[in-house]
Formats: sequence, C-alpha cells, structure tokens
Amino acid sequence: MSADPDAPERVVPILLYDGGCAVCRSIGQWVGAAALVVPPGQGIVAQPVGDDPAALRRLNPTLGIWDAYAVVHVIMPDSSMKTGGEAVAEVLRRLPATRWLAGCFSFSVLGVRPFQMILNLAYNILDDIRPLLGCDSCGRSRPWVQPFARLAAWLRSLGKQMPTAQPALHFRPLPATTQVRVPPNGL
Amino acid sequence: MEPDDMLQTVDSVSFDRLVLEDSGRMAVEFMSYGCGYCRTIEPIVQRVASMIAAEETVLRVNIAADPELAKRYEITGTPTFVMFLNGSEVGRTEGPAPTQSAVIDAITRPFMS
Repeated sequence: MSADPDAPERVVPILLYDGGCAVCRSIGQWVGAAALVVPPGQGIVAQPVGDDPAALRRLNPTLGIWDAYAVVHVIMPDSSMKTGGEAVAEVLRRLPATRWLAGCFSFSVLGVRPFQMILNLAYNILDDIRPLLGCDSCGRSRPWVQPFARLAAWLRSLGKQMPTAQPALHFRPLPATTQVRVPPNGL
Repeated sequence: MEPDDMLQTVDSVSFDRLVLEDSGRMAVEFMSYGCGYCRTIEPIVQRVASMIAAEETVLRVNIAADPELAKRYEITGTPTFVMFLNGSEVGRTEGPAPTQSAVIDAITRPFMS
C-alpha cells in the first residue's frame, strides 16, 4: 500500500471529515484553526471528504469514498489510516491544546486501553446522534436515535409552520437554493 | 471509478454520448457521495446493476460535481433514478426504499409499460 508516488511528500496527517454534516464541519474547522498555531510540519490538516473518489485514492489506494463518509479518517504521512476513535485520538495528539489529554489514550493495562475504549464509545455515540445536531448528510437516524429525532423535529416545529412530508424516507431534498426548474431538454 | 464498481459515472461531457445517443435501456442515478440515503442504497444498487446488466445499464451522475445535469433534469433530491429508452426519459423514481425488490422495481418498471 502506498500513496501516489507523483504526489508531493506530505509531512502532516490529514483529517477527512464529512463536509455535509454541520457537526463534522464545525469540528473540522475548529481543528483547522487550532492547527494554525502549530509549527509547520507538526500539526494536522483538516479537509472535507469532497466528491472525487480518485483524489481520495491518491491519499491511500484502499480508501473508498463511501468509507470516507461513513467514519472519520486520519491519513498519516506514510498513507496509513486511523479511523473513528483512533482518528480522534490522533487529532488530539497533534494539537497543542489537547496534547496533554491525548497521552491517556495510549495508557494500557494488560493490553487494554481503557481511555481509548471510552473515546471509541463516545465517538460512536456522537456519530449516531449527528442527525439530532444538524447533520444534513447522515441519512436516516439509527433506530435507537429515531424517537429522539422525532422529538427534536417536533420541538423545532413548535411555533413554526408544520413541515411538509418528504416524498420518501430515503430521499434527501436538495437545498432550496440549488433547485432551479428548467425543462428537461435544457431549453 | 471505484474498484468493483458496477456503475459508470457520467458527467456533463459524456452524458449525451453515453445516455441520450444510446439506444439501450438506461437507468441514471443522480446521487451525491455526501448523501446518507445514497450511501445506504449504494450496495443494493450495485447488486441490482450486476443482476440486470444484460438488459439494462445503470449509470451514475454525481450532482455535486455536475449540478448542471441536476438542473437540466429537475432533480430535487438524491437519490433520484431517471430511466431512459432510446435517449428519451421514460420514468423516474425518487428515493426508493433500500431493498433489492424496491430498487429493481424502480429502475425496471418504466420499461415494462
């Protein structure tokens, strides 16, 4: 496994986040801002996954775009990847403000890393509840989150016009700004 | 194109040649990689595309990369399947349920009538 040999050598990891998810975008922007104070070559670059599968494969030939959207990834300079809670720990390790905290995730007892396990669990919970927090790209909530999602939708609808039903559950309406009605023949 | 990807991605440059000027049965999925519903349905679409490959071609338009095609075909959300026969649209389905039967029905029914 190796990255594109023609690509310039990279010295910092890349955090890939879901740019369509408000939660991920906020976190990614925070990481990007926090990394600005790090000396060159020691921080991390945060960038959205985007929509170009080939660009991702240049970072790591085994990285599929669907996988990149499914879970947070950190691509290390040697093209190896960390995902989920491990990726979060790597991000924390790379930022001065959180480096002190990241040390505990390496703490191991009999081969078990208890703090990393807690972080993995926290990541999975955050991943599941993203639709409640403003994620526009997560699709339908997981079953355990759906009652809370309905409650959140009801709370948001209080005092507002009732939202219109979507044509199907498995359908993501485009933002209103991108909906332009023109004839199919383009004329 | 992803390895083992049964769907060829078409863009605004290749769309006319591969879809409108082709005489076969075409199903075009207008999708976005950042769409959770598209992600849910993707493995089923791949399986169905493989099953019906002899009779029908399933293609993909990434509307994030080609918004003009989405405007041209009045796509209001993803995933939307638009079916073409001899270059003319014969039907469309928005957001079919992520089951094999629903996807097969969505992309083959327009050609039955």
